[in-house]
Amino acid sequence: MSSPVPKRPTERYPAEVSAFDRSAARWREEYSRLAPDDAAIRNRSGIEVKPLYGPDDWSGENYLDDLGFPGQLPLTRGIYPSMHRGRPWSQRQLVGLGTPEDYNARLKQILAAGSTAVSLIPCNSVYRGYDVDEVDPLLLGTCGATVNTVEDMDICFRDIALGKISIGLNDPLPFTLLALLLAVAKRRDVPWGEITGTSNQSDYISHFVANHMFFRVALPGSRRILSDHIEFMNRHVPGWNPVSVVGQHMQQAGATPAQAMAFTLCTAIQYAEDCRARGMEPDAFLPRFTFFFDISISFFEEIAKLRAGRRLWAKIARDRLGAKDPRSWRFKFHAQTSGLDLTRAQPLNNIARSAIQAMAGIFGGLQSLHTDAYDEVLSTPTVEAARIAVATQNILRDEAHLADVIDPVGGSYYVEALTDQMEEEIERVIGEIDAAGGMYAAVDSGLVQTLIGESALAFQRQIESGAQKVVGVNAFQVEEDASARASLERPDPADIDKQIARYQRFKAARSRDGVQRALDALARAANDATQNSYEKVVDAALAGVTHGEICTCLRREMGFGQPLCIV
Amino acid sequence: MNEPMLHPPPKVLVTKIGLDGHDRGSRLVAAFLRDAGMEVIYTPPWQQISTVVKMAMEEDVDVIGISSLATDHLIVPKLLQALRAAGLDDVEVIVGGIVPDREEAALLKVGVARVFHPGSPLEEIVDVVCRLTAKRRTKPALSLKEAP
Amino acid sequence: MHRLSDPVLDWVAALRDGDRKSLARAITEVENETPTGNALIRAIHDHLGRAHIVGFTGAPGAGKSTLINAFVGELNRRGKRVGVVAVDPSSPISGGAILGDRVRMGDVGGSDDVFIRSLASRGHLGGLSRTASRVVDLLDAAGMDYVILETVGTGQSEIEVAGLALTKVVLFPPGAGDDVQAQKAGVLEIADILAISKADLALADRAEQQLRQMLALRKARGWTPIIVRTVATPAQGIDTLFDAIAKHYEWLTQRGVPLRQMRLKTVLAQVAGDVLRRRIELLESPELERLCADLDSGEIDYGEAAERALAIAAAGGHVDATGTCGQSLRAE
Repeated sequence: MSSPVPKRPTERYPAEVSAFDRSAARWREEYSRLAPDDAAIRNRSGIEVKPLYGPDDWSGENYLDDLGFPGQLPLTRGIYPSMHRGRPWSQRQLVGLGTPEDYNARLKQILAAGSTAVSLIPCNSVYRGYDVDEVDPLLLGTCGATVNTVEDMDICFRDIALGKISIGLNDPLPFTLLALLLAVAKRRDVPWGEITGTSNQSDYISHFVANHMFFRVALPGSRRILSDHIEFMNRHVPGWNPVSVVGQHMQQAGATPAQAMAFTLCTAIQYAEDCRARGMEPDAFLPRFTFFFDISISFFEEIAKLRAGRRLWAKIARDRLGAKDPRSWRFKFHAQTSGLDLTRAQPLNNIARSAIQAMAGIFGGLQSLHTDAYDEVLSTPTVEAARIAVATQNILRDEAHLADVIDPVGGSYYVEALTDQMEEEIERVIGEIDAAGGMYAAVDSGLVQTLIGESALAFQRQIESGAQKVVGVNAFQVEEDASARASLERPDPADIDKQIARYQRFKAARSRDGVQRALDALARAANDATQNSYEKVVDAALAGVTHGEICTCLRREMGFGQPLCIV
Repeated sequence: MNEPMLHPPPKVLVTKIGLDGHDRGSRLVAAFLRDAGMEVIYTPPWQQISTVVKMAMEEDVDVIGISSLATDHLIVPKLLQALRAAGLDDVEVIVGGIVPDREEAALLKVGVARVFHPGSPLEEIVDVVCRLTAKRRTKPALSLKEAP
Repeated sequence: MHRLSDPVLDWVAALRDGDRKSLARAITEVENETPTGNALIRAIHDHLGRAHIVGFTGAPGAGKSTLINAFVGELNRRGKRVGVVAVDPSSPISGGAILGDRVRMGDVGGSDDVFIRSLASRGHLGGLSRTASRVVDLLDAAGMDYVILETVGTGQSEIEVAGLALTKVVLFPPGAGDDVQAQKAGVLEIADILAISKADLALADRAEQQLRQMLALRKARGWTPIIVRTVATPAQGIDTLFDAIAKHYEWLTQRGVPLRQMRLKTVLAQVAGDVLRRRIELLESPELERLCADLDSGEIDYGEAAERALAIAAAGGHVDATGTCGQSLRAE
């Protein structure tokens, strides 16, 4: 080695300044000669991406302030000291289709393939608050499992040890599925103290804004039920995370990655303030706040988004929300590879896409991951496709050894510079929401929906114009044999009929008085702010009330939620 | 836009039936049709089939666009039946979203004019709507009360 | 006078008989100003005057659609047949429009006694559309007890609705306390009912106070506007609104004001103005160019120039029959 590598120009190395500048100038000149038509490139959040990043973009000099060690503030490199090397991320694949028996069978297959945690997707009819006898049978069980009663839930988890595995129930307010699960636990004599998991879809604000389907009760009622839910779970099921703030919905609705992160943090702030208004101390509820993100295929942008979010949340929790317990500062999140980047054309390409998205999430420091199956865009995944999705995670962990080094991209000039820029943009959007009176107000007025709509339109134009290429769609298209596409997963109509019949038998066999009393108590609690409405939901489940009956009661008492419609 | 828009502009109902609520796609299409010069009645998801028929009738729409990203396309045949029963046979229905090939064929068989998949250029949707509108307008406007 | 053909008369009979498809298609003809549409308008002249035409206006965000939804619900409960005309602005660039008002009337839109029609403004500046008045007439002739008019909500829409509606309800959301003061005085002039929408907000008292003060400063007229407070969801004050509107209608009919004639004259002036405006904009004539040059140099003033432009347009101009879609506003 002849001369030492030029260091970043600083006070310590003034003599090196001209060498650095000379080399930089030479590189710039050679680069423009070789790439004369180079135009500015922006990522999805609107941040410009340069061809090269170096010490003048980011310096590691302030390591402790900017990055720190894993498990220590500012937490940029990870919320735990050992991260994936100490304990790999949970492989939490979404499973949901057909009848409870179908679900149980598929769940066992996925666990056998290597998945380490449970996630249950209920049928769209369940999402809308209906039981199986209230919708067109053609629509039952096609996108998720039909679960309405404690009997159904028991079958879903047949041979599964409830207290030994983390359970994600993708069940929005009023969390009837969780109530049914707790009823099953009681049946099996599993103490509630041993149940662990997350109310994955507890973020009613994100549902109001972006995923309407999950939104059943009017906004003010939702606000109340969530706070009741947090209190109840804290007291009776302390191993459960009652809050999952969902950035995925906003991003899927069209928010840029930076916007999605900003909206998510603002929502978390809103929920925290609602809890505080109830007299709860931040450290009593923040340690059980979790987050849920979409991972797009904008690889580096996603890594930077997640790292920036983690660093910001630590600051927000400690400085803005006043939390003193370090567990409150931890940005725990689950992530799902984004189905929006998957294509119907040349579907096997989606395997590559999911792998890349998964890598971004892993480098971003997630705690739990779902990888989409390649046929996600066509229908509910086939067993084969679902297995490949799980295998993808195994390969990343065991063959590519992505869990061996904590925050392996930390210190990259590009990643650190981009993390800083994403943080800036996220904070700017947070400022906009604060100015509008906080997330609840911003969403009630339609501001957030408008911003998301604008981003969605802008992105669509990029694709329409070809500026953003999508392989197989607007670039590299090929003629495909339609019949070669993956087979269709549809529940057997005979099984659906049996499910409906079983549901009706269950209802007929219940104690009518018990059911009526429970529903009356629920209705009373809905109108009495001094009572805990969620406690009455759980009591109802224990008394044999069905999902649809609970939802109908609460919608009647609290108003049916109709999200704002802005085009 | 290459060709000038029809005059009067097509009147299009963009809506969703069934259970799914994801409406990013239908909102984008509605905005795009508007920017192409059309008059668009846009509704939120979860419309009842009877409501869609009533809207189509009162607004005298040329085309109904159904967005289906989950499996709600499975009840589109029922929508066509209801339109026919109400005497609105000349109103064409197009479906956009995620529709497996086998089920696309079934939809076309019962009278859906066209199925658009994700990635279809929006220009193409505009084109098809214009053609369907022009076709509908070749029929005489004078309509008298039909015997039941 | 041309004789009206039997098919047109049959058509009118059908829509008067409750055939909603005939009504909808008649509205299309009228909206597009086709010869059939013109014939239909002439054929219904004997069947007008039954409906109570109520206009709702107010700035965007005041909550018009949700209030109309609640009000129509009340009418429905009382067994009334209601037509609703909702106008949304056409894009001046593309000429297209999103007609999104009926979205907010989901609750009542499903009733058989309610007929909702959305209209695009199609370049008309004034809060409604050029053919809105004729569409209202069709609904009147079809036997509606009430026809509700919902305007675009621009600054001028209040004035335009005044020429068309019998009872004008102007909405004020509270919280815009200072904006109440900033409302053009003209708005107060035309309002028959002043509705404080979203009245559950804390600033409703203040808004009501300000409105009373402004009314007190006005010269006394025959009708003193009634102030009502409404909340759309859950519905409150809606029956008070109904009573106020009914009261105004009673007052109108008692006074025997020739409402229809006044309306016709206003609407005729608007349509003529529209036609003339387009004619002058689209006209290419050396005389007109010279006129503009004179105006530019200060040789003549605007008043005189306008008179001369009218004469030039009347003499030589003609309007393209298809120019009804906001073309005068569209960029070439």
